[in-house]
Amino acid sequence: MSLAQALAYFFREAAGGLRRGWKVSLLAVFTIAVSLFVGGVFLLASGNLARALERWRAETRVVVYLRPGTPPPAVERLRAEAARGPAWVRGVEAVSPQAARARFAASFPALSDLLRGWGEEPLPATLEIELARDRPLPASELEPWLAAWRARPEVEMVDEDREWLGQLEAIIAVLRGIGLALGGVLLAAAIFTIGSVIRLIAYLHHEEIAILRLVGATELFVRGPFYAEGLLQGLLGGGLALAALFAGWQVAQAEAQESLLATLLAARFLTPGQSAALLLLGGAAGLIGAVASLRRETLRSEA
Amino acid sequence: MIQFFHVGKKYGDRVALHDVGFEIPRGQFVFLTGASGAGKTTLLRLIFREEVPTSGQILVNGRNVASLPLRKVPYLRRTMGVVFQDFRLIGRKTVFENVSYLPRILGSDRDTQKRLAYHALRRVGLAHRMNAFPGELSGGEQQRVAIARALVSDPQLLIADEPTGNLDPELSREILRLFLEVNLRGTTVIIATHDRATIERVGGRVLTLDRGGVGSDVQLAGTEPPRLEPPPEDDEAPPVPAWPESDAGAEPLVPPS
Repeated sequence: MSLAQALAYFFREAAGGLRRGWKVSLLAVFTIAVSLFVGGVFLLASGNLARALERWRAETRVVVYLRPGTPPPAVERLRAEAARGPAWVRGVEAVSPQAARARFAASFPALSDLLRGWGEEPLPATLEIELARDRPLPASELEPWLAAWRARPEVEMVDEDREWLGQLEAIIAVLRGIGLALGGVLLAAAIFTIGSVIRLIAYLHHEEIAILRLVGATELFVRGPFYAEGLLQGLLGGGLALAALFAGWQVAQAEAQESLLATLLAARFLTPGQSAALLLLGGAAGLIGAVASLRRETLRSEA
Repeated sequence: MIQFFHVGKKYGDRVALHDVGFEIPRGQFVFLTGASGAGKTTLLRLIFREEVPTSGQILVNGRNVASLPLRKVPYLRRTMGVVFQDFRLIGRKTVFENVSYLPRILGSDRDTQKRLAYHALRRVGLAHRMNAFPGELSGGEQQRVAIARALVSDPQLLIADEPTGNLDPELSREILRLFLEVNLRGTTVIIATHDRATIERVGGRVLTLDRGGVGSDVQLAGTEPPRLEPPPEDDEAPPVPAWPESDAGAEPLVPPS
């Protein structure tokens, strides 16, 4: 029997088995769908958060707030000094108090009246230092550099985004960890369920298995349809999980106009590669469950 | 064809067979008889490697069946046809599907499967019931389907365990006539039965088991042997399943002294 003939036979028998025992199979399909759906939700959320993080990281900059009354020549001297800094400093822009006021007025028109009452310029001059985006910044160089700026007498404070981005990164890692752990536990449960279902089906067909052996069927011929059935159950579960994920994502998209969280977590659906991986993971789980449940001794004793 | 050398089989402390030795040449028709529990079924199960002997050696076509690796057992069974008293047909499969399992396992295409199944069913007179399910057939018809399944690839050896045990006398005669016809075509036939009357009527070699050992091994003339016509040559006779080339000579051909 050629491989193509064998596979055609396995899947024909497996499809027949699914039709005949659809109630039992549904349990296995549903279990695997739930586990992959939960894993998929975490994958989707963490993926979107990671993308947002990347975007924000690309916009990372250091803002040096100078003391009020710092004269323009001193601001220019500090700007030039900053521009001569380490290689990962990509550019420096000096923002005068007047420019800062104009920016504020443009960004918050309703609040622009607030600034009119001030006699002096209320906002300090700043240096906006853009850092390299294409590679991680070496903390051993960055920290002393920031400390040196903070120590200067002209500097009021130094603000940088890395701290909260680092916290967000930790949150994403935790989210991924929870997703992996929860998805893994549920997947193990799904594998166990599929294994039990396949074992039950094999038990129900033990006479048929014995007859097949008597007429000279090889172990692969006997077990192949059960493996194919596990694989099909897993793929169906994966497909169901993907469909549910997509439906959930569509709902989140509709909510995204009003919810910042929805915007963050459901900006994009899984990539085709991730979707395929989820589907294949379902198939693999089904196959593993079937193979594990049909250990030699099991079928031998049943036959 | 089949050689038993000092074969013993125990199930725990219970001895099913002890020191059994005999030889069945190719093409012989043999009745295996004895009281219930004498070891007939165990002996047959040893031949098609459903059981492994506790001691001794069994050679089938020169191959030591007892030491045959599990993965090679299917190839041994493809050279045999086995018929049981309880038919062992798959209820959810049609007669055609039940009979065509072996051709399918051997990778025959659908047309060849149909042709072989049709020929086998025609030999047992059931070609017109190919699409029926076993549950729709009488006991005799089911037994004939089981025989057709055993014959579908022209086995070198046909083993039947109490094949007429569930049948009325008329059907029993019909089934026995079928076995004799199969034997006439060159197939070695071993039938386990406790029906002494049938044995004496048909005749042939009779191996009698007694409390796990060979009690007697005699040739009976038969008081009323069925008249058989030589079977017509079948141009489309299916090929006999062969051992894979790689298996040839893998087991000892010479029995131990």
